[in-house]
Amino acid sequence: MGVRDEQKAATREKVLDAARDLFNDVGYEETTIRAIAERAGVSVGSVFTTFASKAEVLSHVMTHRLDELYAEFDRVIPFLRGSTADRLCSIFAIHYAFETRRVKLFLAHIAASYNPNNEAGVTPYGRNPRLSQMLIDVLEDGVRKGEVRSDLDLGLLVDTLKAAYAWNYRMAAAKGGDLAATEMSAVMDRQIALIAEGWKPR
Amino acid sequence: MSFVSVNIDQGSETPVKLTRRALAKQRTRERVLAAARRLFSERGYEGATIRDIAQAAGMSTGAVFASFADKSELFEEILTADYEVIYAQMTQAARTAKTVDEALLGLFGVAYSFHLEQLPLLRASIAESWTRSEAAERRARNDLKHIFKLIGVTLQRAIDEGQLKKDIDAKLLAEITWDVYVANYRRAVYDGWSVEALLARLSDQLKVIFAGARA
Repeated sequence: MGVRDEQKAATREKVLDAARDLFNDVGYEETTIRAIAERAGVSVGSVFTTFASKAEVLSHVMTHRLDELYAEFDRVIPFLRGSTADRLCSIFAIHYAFETRRVKLFLAHIAASYNPNNEAGVTPYGRNPRLSQMLIDVLEDGVRKGEVRSDLDLGLLVDTLKAAYAWNYRMAAAKGGDLAATEMSAVMDRQIALIAEGWKPR
Repeated sequence: MSFVSVNIDQGSETPVKLTRRALAKQRTRERVLAAARRLFSERGYEGATIRDIAQAAGMSTGAVFASFADKSELFEEILTADYEVIYAQMTQAARTAKTVDEALLGLFGVAYSFHLEQLPLLRASIAESWTRSEAAERRARNDLKHIFKLIGVTLQRAIDEGQLKKDIDAKLLAEITWDVYVANYRRAVYDGWSVEALLARLSDQLKVIFAGARA
């Protein structure tokens, strides 16, 4: 990497960190590109040479964060124990714990994905192939062990679980973000148990 | 389904006793609501300001604030009116169905048809629901209460008729059903799914959700 590229990468990193903090502490709508530049200690112009819009900054902040989360998962996954349902509960509990560290940022990300005029450089919330793959892996393992019926559409199960997972964040939104991760994972555990009741071989 | 605004209906149902002043006030409200509905659809909740709405309605910002305390109250009034329009139809659809699946698909089908006709406004309302104030949250909950109750009644009927087990957690079932119903709107937003496609998906999801609950 040349000096120029290094500088560019450093600017990018600073902008993403500043934006992450401001979006979470002040709010996404309330934060301007100017405020992000100020906090990052760079010029407004250099923010715009890296990102086309605020929506794109948010999108990159979130992708960046997910890299952190999935690095954590790479370490944890081999140690997950218990039934298929238990393992799914753990995966979701880890997600809730991670996202509630900066829950307002996460809620803003979900909200932004429904805003009109989504631009090209933006990956909206809900397009997270790693979570889906992780859930499929666990369910396939469940089929192999005979815990999950083999005639089910696993993609459909994943879809249903993800819908329940995402909409439980409404509990946090209703409390203005002031909700313990464990309250959401407790509900998720019951939802998984209910769906698991239906996937048992009979 | 054509859209009928309850705000406008109320005008024709009101007794003739209205004074000229009250009538003018009501007409102002209607003009604001119509302009707001259009701008929220075009720009989203955050993208439309009270100033824009006032301008589109051809009045001053002050005149808008005379009718509505703030933007969130204005937005909520539009959504409440919509819920009132579809609630009766949802109830009807649930009542006439023979099975619990038919009932749920019927009532959510009404909602899908209605909202897909004005998808931009629905997007704005979902976006707003994730970041709104506590007061706005309370108002919205009140609107949804009837619909949750309707789902609850539908499930209870299925239990009474022996379609579902007696010991199921009906509240939890209702919640997950609601979650997948709402989450499916993403398919309409991002993948252009039709009402039929959404209902086919929902039907499959209900099979997953209710598999362990059937008697």
